[in-house]
Amino acid sequence: MEAYRQEIIVGSVVIYMLFCVATGLWAMRRTRDSSDFFVAGRGLGPIVVALALFSSTLSGFGFVGGPGIVYSIGVSSFWMVVISSTGYAVGFFLVAKRIRMIAELRDCLSLPDVVAARYGSDAVRFLIALTIVLGVMGYLATQILAMAVVMQAILSGTETFANIGLVSCVIISSAVLIFYCVTGGIIASVYTDVVQGFIMMVAGSLILMTAVSVFDGGMQEATAIILADDSEAIMPFGSAGVMASLGWFFVFGLGLAGQPHLITKMMMNKKMSDNRSILPMSLFGYVMAALLWISIGIVMRAAVIDGIVEPLALPDDAASTFLSIFANPLLAGVVFAGLFAAIMSTSDAFLNIGTAAIIHDIPTALRGRSVENELFWARVVTVLLAIVAAGFALYSHYADATLVALLGAFGWGTFAASIFPVVAVGLNWRGATVAGAVTAISAALLINFVVQLSSIVPPYGISGPLVAFVTSMILFIGVSLITKQPELAPDIEDVLRI
Amino acid sequence: MTKHVIHCIFAVCVSMGLLLLMIGMADSVPNAGGQPHAEHPGMVIGADGAARLAHIGSLAFMFNSLLLTLVVGLCVLGVSERHRSRKFLAGMGGSWLFMLMIWWMMFSTHQEFLLTGETDYFMGFPVPTAWQMYGTWLGAIPLIVMYSYGFRTFIYTREDEAEFDALLEQATRNSKQD
Repeated sequence: MEAYRQEIIVGSVVIYMLFCVATGLWAMRRTRDSSDFFVAGRGLGPIVVALALFSSTLSGFGFVGGPGIVYSIGVSSFWMVVISSTGYAVGFFLVAKRIRMIAELRDCLSLPDVVAARYGSDAVRFLIALTIVLGVMGYLATQILAMAVVMQAILSGTETFANIGLVSCVIISSAVLIFYCVTGGIIASVYTDVVQGFIMMVAGSLILMTAVSVFDGGMQEATAIILADDSEAIMPFGSAGVMASLGWFFVFGLGLAGQPHLITKMMMNKKMSDNRSILPMSLFGYVMAALLWISIGIVMRAAVIDGIVEPLALPDDAASTFLSIFANPLLAGVVFAGLFAAIMSTSDAFLNIGTAAIIHDIPTALRGRSVENELFWARVVTVLLAIVAAGFALYSHYADATLVALLGAFGWGTFAASIFPVVAVGLNWRGATVAGAVTAISAALLINFVVQLSSIVPPYGISGPLVAFVTSMILFIGVSLITKQPELAPDIEDVLRI
Repeated sequence: MTKHVIHCIFAVCVSMGLLLLMIGMADSVPNAGGQPHAEHPGMVIGADGAARLAHIGSLAFMFNSLLLTLVVGLCVLGVSERHRSRKFLAGMGGSWLFMLMIWWMMFSTHQEFLLTGETDYFMGFPVPTAWQMYGTWLGAIPLIVMYSYGFRTFIYTREDEAEFDALLEQATRNSKQD
């Protein structure tokens, strides 16, 4: 079997991609209008929503960057993962019920729709939509680039595609992504997420079993090797220190309820009462998949320190090196398919909310109505958005990484800082005002931009997104408290009371 | 009593902002955010853990204690005021104490290690890290249990459902009239 390692890996990825294409074709017949395209007609069952929710949370970053970060800075990066239980709990307590209620009551297609209904303000709608578009571009570009780099690494190991270029890989991977997103919209996206989530869970648990068998003494031997080399790396705050760790705890934990691609999925379940089972199922799936993140990183750091494995050229090589040395070819095939699943499940979610922001939210905010024939334009803009993001990805790779890096700053941290207060707090506190929301979003965008542009490095590992998040929370509540209490629409008043 | 939960959340956020400011202005320690490994490129080491916590250890401890308070405060905010019963608040209080206990065990066992240089292991990890890894993950489970098992008691009762259905019917009638 070892002789066919590359063929098995390529075969697994090809089967997975064919599945995505088939799902797109199947979902196309179920997509009749823009409500189906953007929110699946609010008719999804609990298992589908749970798997879609967690698989969109764990992007390619979790499968490639995650083990690499553990390899690099040790336990510090665990804080991004172990916070998931708190993050999901906060997200469901604050967002799941009321976003679903407003979405149904006002027939909302997107997060900015919900925000506009809550605040009765097109200014807030516009700012949220703008934040989403900026964030989506950076996120999508990095995801497409990651997908292409992994595809090139896999295909170049075969004789037929030994000299395949990165541009070809960007085209192939983007084409599959575009196909199922355009044909099937969010319905294709969430149903591929189900399989993607399942593959990620299987990959995570199998990798854990492989990782603990690398050293005779299991995980304890691996951690003891790291402890002997540098105790801080394997202690609770890792190499990056206490404030970097707690910053991630804050931004990744609470910030989960500010991620538009995740909370939009909370609008899609058929029955409100399904939330009680969606929460534990999502968390379980995330924990299973995240085992890969932690176990590969720890074992690879210990293996390099112990001299079993040559030092890695880049920390991000941790996962691929682990798979090539320690994993059975079949497992490597499942994990590589899982990697594509992780990247695509996040990308399709971003394509969907980015398209909604462009064809629905921004026009509605500026001229009071969406575009005519939304479904047609949704499909056109999905294609264009993916092409522009792929262009950004290639430009960043070959010419100048600044633009994508800048847009990348509008990643998780900026979504968390600008969207969390306005949505998660605002949906539960009737005293939240438009002035508070506008101030919080503007401050979050400004702080993240300034920190990114000026390359400010705060002391003790305090991060820009952490400062932005705390500031936006203070400003949101503070400004709302001192500005005139709003007159809410009667139905929104009722929703906030229920 | 819980009418002022937003004011408590605001106070916690302001306190966290002040703590961040104090940490930012504290005496600096070289390489507090880690330094490159001498032998293995791409790896970062933390080196002297005691020195890194010397000026900010207690501030960092307070920061995370406030963060855990914020988490529970936000969960209380997420529940309709009429469902914030004593039973619910007791559950939230218990969850808060449970998370604080885990945080204290993680922090204190790490401090102990920094003093003695010795640690036991639990399920593959040094004890302080096991508190972080397993403890933090499990720390929010009481919140999740309260959400899932208390869904029809605290989150979305049958009365809530009936009220929302009536709201939907009203909205449908209004749109037909329009």
